[in-house]
Amino acid sequence: MTPAAFLPYLILAMVVLAGLRLGQRVMLWRGGRAAHVDWMAGLKALPKRYLVDVHQVVDRDKSASRMHVPVAGGLVLASGLLVLGLVPALAASRLYWTLVTLAFLVMVAGVVLVARRRYPQPMARLSVGRWQRFPIYLAAFGLGGLVTAGLAAIGNPLPALSFVTLVIAAGGGLKLAFDAASGPIRHALAGATHLVAHPRPNRFDHDEAKGRSTGLQSIDLNAETLGAKTPSDFAWNRLLAFDACVQCGRCEAACPAFAAGQPLSPKHLIADLAAASSGGHHRPYGGHAYPNERPVAGEGGLHAKVISPDGMIHPDTIWSCTTCRACVEECPMMIEHVDAIVELRRFQTLELGAVPLKAEEPLSHYRGCDEPNGRALAERTDFAAGLRLPVLKPGERADVLLWLGQAAYDLRGQRTLRALIQCLQAAGVDYAVLGEDERDCGDLARRLGDEATFQRLARENIAALGSVTFNRILTADPHALHVLRNEYPAFGGTYDVVHHTAFLAEMVAAGQLTPQALSGRAITYHDPCYLGRYNGETEAPRALLDALGLERREMARSGKRSMCCGGGGGAPSADIPGDTRIPDIRMGQAKETGATTVAVACPQCTAMLEGVTGERPEVKDVAELLWEAVQASATAAPRDSRKAKELEPA
Amino acid sequence: MKTVVLVSGARHPVSRRPALTRLEAQAASLAAKLGGTVRGLHAGPSDDQLREALGHGLGEADWLEIEDRVDPVPALIDHLKAAAPDIVIAGRRGEGTGDTGLVPYALAEALDMPIIADVVGVSPGAGSGTVSIEQALKKGARRRLVVQLPVLVTIHPLAPPPSPFAFAAARRGTIRHERIEATGLPTAKPSPFVERPYRARPKMMRQAGAGQAGEKAVLVGPTPEEAAERILAFLEDNGIRRYSA
Ligand code: SF4
Ligand code: SF4
Repeated sequence: MTPAAFLPYLILAMVVLAGLRLGQRVMLWRGGRAAHVDWMAGLKALPKRYLVDVHQVVDRDKSASRMHVPVAGGLVLASGLLVLGLVPALAASRLYWTLVTLAFLVMVAGVVLVARRRYPQPMARLSVGRWQRFPIYLAAFGLGGLVTAGLAAIGNPLPALSFVTLVIAAGGGLKLAFDAASGPIRHALAGATHLVAHPRPNRFDHDEAKGRSTGLQSIDLNAETLGAKTPSDFAWNRLLAFDACVQCGRCEAACPAFAAGQPLSPKHLIADLAAASSGGHHRPYGGHAYPNERPVAGEGGLHAKVISPDGMIHPDTIWSCTTCRACVEECPMMIEHVDAIVELRRFQTLELGAVPLKAEEPLSHYRGCDEPNGRALAERTDFAAGLRLPVLKPGERADVLLWLGQAAYDLRGQRTLRALIQCLQAAGVDYAVLGEDERDCGDLARRLGDEATFQRLARENIAALGSVTFNRILTADPHALHVLRNEYPAFGGTYDVVHHTAFLAEMVAAGQLTPQALSGRAITYHDPCYLGRYNGETEAPRALLDALGLERREMARSGKRSMCCGGGGGAPSADIPGDTRIPDIRMGQAKETGATTVAVACPQCTAMLEGVTGERPEVKDVAELLWEAVQASATAAPRDSRKAKELEPA
Repeated sequence: MKTVVLVSGARHPVSRRPALTRLEAQAASLAAKLGGTVRGLHAGPSDDQLREALGHGLGEADWLEIEDRVDPVPALIDHLKAAAPDIVIAGRRGEGTGDTGLVPYALAEALDMPIIADVVGVSPGAGSGTVSIEQALKKGARRRLVVQLPVLVTIHPLAPPPSPFAFAAARRGTIRHERIEATGLPTAKPSPFVERPYRARPKMMRQAGAGQAGEKAVLVGPTPEEAAERILAFLEDNGIRRYSA
């Protein structure tokens, strides 16, 4: 037998070894909670999910997509071909070996591209350690296979050399197989299985509104444990998801909390969660440490507490998150970081009451009077005294129900709301508010893990909304929009909810509002996470700003890949200190465009960005800019007509 | 040691819904830290406040259901006589609709227990059957007392902050329910007053109406025509005079 003839057996040995190793990991996954998975649909959708959804993300970093196709493709192709080599007739054919050689050649070319990302200097966001050694094993298997098969293709002239290269290929290949459940290569099978059994299959359904797959999923408040205390409290396909991580660091590079030096890195978090179920990191974690890392014991286990200074992850880590979903948007493995973080927060809040000190206050106000700021519901409409705000009584109807939200209690937010209301009045919209019956939508409570309060508020708001009749809900708060549109349906409230930017753009397009051009001003638009990333609405506000004749400049991070202002997810309430503040970073990016105004579309963003000190562009809500333009046209018009009149009396 | 935490029928200052007062939450946490058997106790028409106290660290509670406006003191006395606790912890003021803040005193008198007001700390005493109590005095002074059990104490706002509310603890805690018939118990007359929380009048905001958007320019030596035009424009914009009328 020639050395090449052993290659098929090597592949068989690798498959068996990988299978054995993976079996242990599968047992761990089975230790998670049950989850409903439609296997048939998932398997059917796998090619599209991989080739379209995953590829779209991977391809944002060309060096990644270019290396992955040949490495993975070459590896799979060569291995597949080699299994066929068990047929004696094929094994004797030189053509067959030429084909195998070509497959290995493709793989080796890919490995060269992989190596270029890591040697001599690895890209900053990549993990080192075992991930740095991974290309070496790939190279051993690829090169060894290449030379062995190549020599077989030309008649095996150097049996001794073939033997040596076979040994090298076997070394690399068996190492890869041995690592199948614990090393970098794990991402291949875990990733593919994750795509099939994804906990949010509708995120791959591009015909569906984006918000349908971004709302948090509710939990049963009568369950034995609320939220996730140990890895085994996660659904099994969430454990699987953690194992799919390739530690590419894209999430970390996008994370505002990481950038601000708060002790959070989504990549580290996922790596910790993956390591937690099997007893902690067996080798040191190869990526950047959490900024200003809090010490933890680093001990884990399928049934060990995760969030604790004695466990894997420090509580400050999960409380730093703004739930901006930038990590989810960037993750090529389609991992849902925010779901994991909220699940962990739920346990802290509901079971332990262990919320950060400052976050206790809004939660206790919520329980006492349904508003996180502790103000009376009846005071919500106070700001509009003099604006003649129509209030709907049970049984009455209006075309548009205006959801005021928390902004109504905040002086800055009131300016925006007043501009919006004046626009509505000028456009002759039939609108009304709920008045005292509007409770807070519960966004903050839910993101802080207080699912009990959220569910109560959702039910009460749905009852209040059910007592009146309207066609659409209009709101200037993307958080309320998201919750009403995407998270209330689970409790029986399905509404047509529209954000004020979309609504006003509609009014202008229909000619119901005729703004005058506000030319000569350069603006940049900051996308609110809950509008852009969560709901995919990035066009309407831009269309509206363009209609105002403003010169629009884009920040480097905009649209669905925009950077968070730091205001979401209860992060301002938790207030975990970092080196700098997220809004300062974002305002810096706005300044770089040279714009004199930052247009915003969310009361949280307004508050965060206006909190930036020093010289900076002014912060204006899109509604304020529009109202300014509408007023400009209103004052321009009568003055002209008056001039004409003044000529008459003479 | 047996501790009972009294929970009043307080209401939330903003929403007027039944709510646990901060003082009583502090009392619940203090009692939970003290150890031994700890139970909450409330006599009134609803158990909402007790439920909340469970979330702050009480494992169990007794709810003596009586109608609104019925004096809770006799029911409490009967219950406490039977339960014979070592320490009774209460808030120190009424924060509800009909509360007077006198219940702890009435109970201490009826049960013949010493009452110690404004307590910020309780810990087991050196001798058996005693506790060491820290009492808050004026100007931040503190006094340590060692008292013989049983004792009734009222809590001071400077006591350690309450342990945070945990929904699961409130859900798991158990409340023993007992209905007390009101026959023969003193009942308050219905109040002739309607109570409403104080509400500041909404402020009228100066409106950015069309008129004020006009230029606030200082005109130096305008021509008479120009000046007149500006004044007329101002009057018209602010609705003081209308040409079209
Ligand atoms: S979680 Fe996703 S984006 Fe982050 S490192 Fe892992 S694979 Fe990359
Ligand atoms: S949601 Fe935003 S803040 Fe939270 S981990 Fe992801 S990127 Fe970071």
